[in-house]
Amino acid sequence: MKRYLLALIVLAMPLFAVAPFLVDGAPYESTMGLVQKIFYFHVPAAIVMFVSAFVCGIASVVFLFKGRASADHLAEAAGELVVVFGLIVLVTGPLWARKAWNTWWEWDPRLTSSLLLWMIFVAYLLVRKYGGPGSEKLAAAMALFGMANVPFVYVSVNFWRTLHPETSVVMTLVAGMRGPFWLSVAAFVLLYVALLAIRTSIGHARAEVEQAYLRMEGD
Amino acid sequence: MTRGTGAALAALVAVVLAAAGPQLAAQQPTLSTPPAQPQTAPPPAITTAPQQAPPGQGDFVPVKNLPAVQEQLPAAPFVLAAYAFVWVALLVYVWSLWRRVGAVQKELADLRRQAERKA
Repeated sequence: MKRYLLALIVLAMPLFAVAPFLVDGAPYESTMGLVQKIFYFHVPAAIVMFVSAFVCGIASVVFLFKGRASADHLAEAAGELVVVFGLIVLVTGPLWARKAWNTWWEWDPRLTSSLLLWMIFVAYLLVRKYGGPGSEKLAAAMALFGMANVPFVYVSVNFWRTLHPETSVVMTLVAGMRGPFWLSVAAFVLLYVALLAIRTSIGHARAEVEQAYLRMEGD
Repeated sequence: MTRGTGAALAALVAVVLAAAGPQLAAQQPTLSTPPAQPQTAPPPAITTAPQQAPPGQGDFVPVKNLPAVQEQLPAAPFVLAAYAFVWVALLVYVWSLWRRVGAVQKELADLRRQAERKA
């Protein structure tokens, strides 16, 4: 398993190593200047966070209705990754905001709903860890709420007046900004797939260990 | 009120009015000029300047070089901190996965050994 982990990380890391050089070569944004370059890691992390919330929600639906343990392991892995990538989003965003808006945090719809999404998945992990037997199903129901929150977070900048850039900025990027941005997205997605696969396999292995203990107790 | 006091007050008012008269006349519009705002006219429409959107909220407009403005708050530390945090967070998570993989593999190997010994 460790070889598998190493191979996937080795695949993703060159992209992460190259990305800062491409980002450095990208043009500056006219109103925000240098600080706008946080965008190249902040947005891909947010995209991966949204994808992971959907993976967790869909796997939780499969677990709730079909009772498949593999779906539960996938949901747990995806839930953990929502928290990891969400933390990146919630830290890099205020660093950008401090310079661009002159404030670390605004309780505006995008920021507040993003924080709420992150907190739902932190609660998901806490319920799984400390909820006792049967808490997987309760956590799976929480993951559905987390997944349902994602579209609201995404469209919040278009519906409500907010300081946050609108969703259209990604699709209207000029050529010089587009390359580094999509390369960063590719790096994040590749790393996400690698981490998801590894974290899911840990869940499978842990279940295998528990089964082995149960068999030994039975003998 | 006695007649004397009333006369004194009237004289005081007359003096004050005489002193302030020229100034008041200068401030007040003459009767011949029309009033600036007729009372029947609707209240003026609230005309505010178009609200300024925060910078970079719409499309990102690229420029080749940074504007030569002295920045009160330099951007470089924020950009470096953001990138450093991304790297540190991901490396810490990969390290935690590595440890968990090692622990579960060791546990599985121990269990297999125990099962073989029993067999």
